[in-house]
Amino acid sequence: MRSQRIFQTITLSGFIGLLLLAGTLTPDAGLVDFYLRLDPIIGLGTVLASWDLAPALWPSLVVVLITLAIGRVFCGHVCPMGTTLDIFDAVVKREKKNRSKTNAAEANQNKRNWKHYFFVIIVVAGLLGVSLVHLGSPLSWATRIWGLLLYPLALSGLDTSIIWVGEMFRAMGDSSVLYIQPPQRVFSTGLFIFAFFTASFILVMVAPRYWCRNLCPAGALLAWCSKRPILRRQVSDECVNCGQCVAQCPTSAITEDPSNTLNQECIVCLKCKDICPVSAISFSRVQGSSRIPDQDIMPGRRALLYSFATGVVSAGVISNDIHRPKGLPGGTVLRSGNLIRPPGSRTERDFLKLCVRCGACMKACPTNTLQPIWFKAGLEGIFSPVLLPRLGPCAVNCNECGKVCPTGAIRHLPIHEKQSVKMGSAWIVRQNCLVWEQDRKCLVCDEVCPYNALSFQPVKGLKNSAPFVIENRCTGCGWCENKCPVLGDAAIRVNIMGEVRLNEGSYVEKAQQLGLVFKAKDNRHDKLGEETFEGVSRRHKDNKTPGKEEKSKQDLPEGFIVE
Amino acid sequence: MSKMIDRREFVKGSLITSTALMTTAGAGIIAPSNIHASAPDLIIARGNDPSKNTRAAVDALGGISRFVKPGAKVAIKPNMSFARGPNQASNTNPHVVAEVARMCHEAGASKISVLDYVLHSPEDCMRLSKIPEACRSIPNTVVNTVQISRLFREVEVPNGEQFKSMRAISDVLDADVMISTPVGKSHGSAGVSLSMKGMMGWIYDRGSFHSRYNLHDAVVDMVSVLKPHLVVIDGTRILTTGGPSGPGKVMKLDLVIASTDMVAADAQMVSLGTWYGRKFKPNQVRHIRKAAERGLGRMDLDKLNIREIKV
Repeated sequence: MRSQRIFQTITLSGFIGLLLLAGTLTPDAGLVDFYLRLDPIIGLGTVLASWDLAPALWPSLVVVLITLAIGRVFCGHVCPMGTTLDIFDAVVKREKKNRSKTNAAEANQNKRNWKHYFFVIIVVAGLLGVSLVHLGSPLSWATRIWGLLLYPLALSGLDTSIIWVGEMFRAMGDSSVLYIQPPQRVFSTGLFIFAFFTASFILVMVAPRYWCRNLCPAGALLAWCSKRPILRRQVSDECVNCGQCVAQCPTSAITEDPSNTLNQECIVCLKCKDICPVSAISFSRVQGSSRIPDQDIMPGRRALLYSFATGVVSAGVISNDIHRPKGLPGGTVLRSGNLIRPPGSRTERDFLKLCVRCGACMKACPTNTLQPIWFKAGLEGIFSPVLLPRLGPCAVNCNECGKVCPTGAIRHLPIHEKQSVKMGSAWIVRQNCLVWEQDRKCLVCDEVCPYNALSFQPVKGLKNSAPFVIENRCTGCGWCENKCPVLGDAAIRVNIMGEVRLNEGSYVEKAQQLGLVFKAKDNRHDKLGEETFEGVSRRHKDNKTPGKEEKSKQDLPEGFIVE
Repeated sequence: MSKMIDRREFVKGSLITSTALMTTAGAGIIAPSNIHASAPDLIIARGNDPSKNTRAAVDALGGISRFVKPGAKVAIKPNMSFARGPNQASNTNPHVVAEVARMCHEAGASKISVLDYVLHSPEDCMRLSKIPEACRSIPNTVVNTVQISRLFREVEVPNGEQFKSMRAISDVLDADVMISTPVGKSHGSAGVSLSMKGMMGWIYDRGSFHSRYNLHDAVVDMVSVLKPHLVVIDGTRILTTGGPSGPGKVMKLDLVIASTDMVAADAQMVSLGTWYGRKFKPNQVRHIRKAAERGLGRMDLDKLNIREIKV
């Protein structure tokens, strides 16, 4: 196997391995987002949009420096998006015809500039405070594809195989295989990822690494850095002009004259060197005068001006979107009530500037409650994470989302800080509630609430005590909404009312200032704090009970008959 | 599914014919008078070794071979739903479960499945309850948690008042013998959680027991189908408050109860224990009273043949 393939196998395995680690509650999962932090477009775009020199992004600077020295090795050897496309490429069957003309650099120039336009658009929009990084960042795409598309597919595939194999074993009297129960994950907006996944596959049929050579804005940035790297492709006089390297270069970086290279397009995959029949190619320091091809085309001025304008207009349109949290006249902010951000998310504007929509938090979330959205947060918020409590609650003893966030859009809070984050508040939809509407006995929301934020009180006209939310005890974790036994929409739902989001400083202190009392019950011993409503013994402690005797009776479980 | 019922009925029937003398009220088919005077209805074994208590209690009841025939498939229901250690009394003492499994193996059981639909994280429950650890050396025995719907299947509840069918663990429905090995513990809704309430760890949709149905009636509906052939209650120590999850007040009793009658066993545990700081009679627990009224067993302890043994 060629050295590039070996290297790619290692780097992609590392990427997938770290992604699998996300959400496993490993003590220090600080490495999970490492690959994302290598992405130069995440680094540059995020810093521009947020004016925050996020120190976690310095690895992308290292990538840029390496590129200056030895060219786009990141693209050819490390980038998981590139490797994924190479896997596609291995699947695609190409006609065996002489491509030494069609694959030459000269024949592939125009489309190449698209990535530069894309890059300019992202930079300009970023300067205007709108992050479009998520549309172009190869690491964002790769994380989404592997974490939110392929990972759930693998899990359901695994479960299906367990059933098939397990039934075979069961027929032989051994049902142990069937008891392997892998977790299952579901994600919304799958179409977004799937469409991109399919498109990139189809484009690979047109040309290998189509995304990398024509569209990737990170590739564009690295192309600017690799026009004259110290180590670069050299062709010696032994060259017999056979044209094989021209025909097979995955990025069409070689001109019709095989001794000339567009260094900025070369991803240093070393394929030309490996296939050269006379070993005329080396990657080394420039010897004497090097031939730089004339068709060293970078985008023209007019085109750059167009992309500049496109960036300005895009940023403008997004800025004027009705959902943009910039505040309307009179201070009105239009935000969907159920746009509940993960615990520790920065204030909405800064959050959207920093969030690169990689989906690492969603992959990591052990209860599956973090979900991507379409347009609930406007054009700017596409694919950003929200809590969907009906699907899962926010686990009390978990801070995985902040742990894996590469840009700090979700802060990495210690557990005790995270437990003091108010993400929103629960409210009771009385028309849906079994007690309020049908006067039936139901205490589920109270029983599952990890923070004792519900109070059941006698209400005129009802036999049964009815639920009330004690707002300053509610963190908006959504256990109540998740376990509410009503079919369809829950009778108790979380919305953003009262949410607290701090860009810096302590949530514990802020909660104290605001008079919030968040005390997680101590009877949660497991690592996630996950309990179903069966697991709680406490009975409505918050009841105001008139007489002492009545109280002692009420403290007994209803399963006892006491005369 | 109906095929499965037939098979179980068939096995049950053949057990009865082949061991007619040994069969007592526990099977629920023959009238509950004592055909065999020497087999008591209920055993209380006291001593400070849970394993020995367990073996002595089951032996005094007529031995495990009364229930487990060579080649039989056995399902054992422990309490191991919570990520807590044995001393906290939220889960069954691992030695009690292991001793029951060991006796089943000695009687020639072909497969012994210890199964529970756990509430806390499965790995933590397995590790901290120490039940898998205690059962590891016993041949043909597997300890598994169950949390995925495909391992359950629909079963009819012909005499159900609240529901006419439910989903229960397939391997349990396919088993020839069901053995319940609960710990004695309090329960925030049901009052106590013993052999009958504990069976909720073998069904899928227990949420509806709390929300849609009356819990106490629903438990009785459930055990009209998931009716254990043998009950071994772990009273080594009991959780008198804070159940089912704990932590709560733990009380040492150093005993094990064995019976073929789940209602009698639960009734006996209620009257031996102290719950929420006070004593209760069996008929003060709604689901126990209901089960007795519906003829699923007896709670009139004073009329039962109960033998206490010192181990």
